[in-house]
Amino acid sequence: MTECNEAERLSAYHDGALSEPSRIALEEHLKGCPTCAAELARLARLSQLIQSTSRPEMPPQALGRFHRAIDLQPRITAMHVAEVFTAVAASILVFSSVCLWKMSTARADTAQIPVWETVAVAPQDPSGVAAQEQLARWIVQDLSGKNGHD
Amino acid sequence: MAREGSHLLSTDLELVKRARAGDSSAFHVLVDRHAGFLFALAYSLCGNVADAEDMVQEAFSGAFRGLGAFEGRASVKTWLARILVRQVARHFRSARRRKAGFVPIEEAADTQASAASPHAAADARIDVTAAIRSLGPEHQEVIVLRELQGLSYEEIAEVLDIPRGTVESRLFRARRALQERLKEYVNS
Repeated sequence: MTECNEAERLSAYHDGALSEPSRIALEEHLKGCPTCAAELARLARLSQLIQSTSRPEMPPQALGRFHRAIDLQPRITAMHVAEVFTAVAASILVFSSVCLWKMSTARADTAQIPVWETVAVAPQDPSGVAAQEQLARWIVQDLSGKNGHD
Repeated sequence: MAREGSHLLSTDLELVKRARAGDSSAFHVLVDRHAGFLFALAYSLCGNVADAEDMVQEAFSGAFRGLGAFEGRASVKTWLARILVRQVARHFRSARRRKAGFVPIEEAADTQASAASPHAAADARIDVTAAIRSLGPEHQEVIVLRELQGLSYEEIAEVLDIPRGTVESRLFRARRALQERLKEYVNS
């Protein structure tokens, strides 16, 4: 088959998909080009053949099946999104409350530790003499209740 | 279905908006409206009633889950068709991985029957179906959408998410391939 330069546009012409100027130009070309005229006839026969193929009707039970599948889907709606956000916000609130409560409890426990116990585990100076004196002073003060502890 | 009675006069776009707002009965009307079109498209692409049903069901479920992603630039019909075509493509990709994808081209060449046989019309239908199935997925899609579903070039471009010019060139090449495989019918 000898190929004409216009052959590629015949498919779009056959579908009525060419612009008006292109359509007019191609119709002028067709008047003097038997190769393209024959190709256009073949395209028409091909379309007839394709459209003659039998296709089954949708089974009657299929529609019910599609509807049931939709009913089983989780509902992703604006209301659903709002519910999710509310649940997340409530979770954050509860978690924050628990953390705050734990922090305040820990602070109270720290306040009950006698000062001398804190000093006893603090780093010592290299000579050690001054630190030992300081530690002894804190122990005496704690035991006599001068630091405000029982 | 009776529950969708109030939606019957609504446009597709209105139904999508209502479904997005939580009214699932609006989506059921869309199912009623487009199930036939989608089933015909699915069957034309996969050639099997059971697979076509599965794919349409998956496409509707996917569309329902993805309601929020619908931007309204395309029509609801082409949006649903796009979801379905992707579903079919996924199906065939996994089928090819299992060595059972499209009918090989050689097989289609062997199916050419004589147009002069007593059962010529029936033979032609069988051969045309086999020839369409023998095309690669891209050519098969444009042929089915244009010749069997009657979509315009613009609608096909929307469904396949490709430029209009690509639709035109794919259709030209797909028809050339079909003419070659069906020359005994086309050239007669």
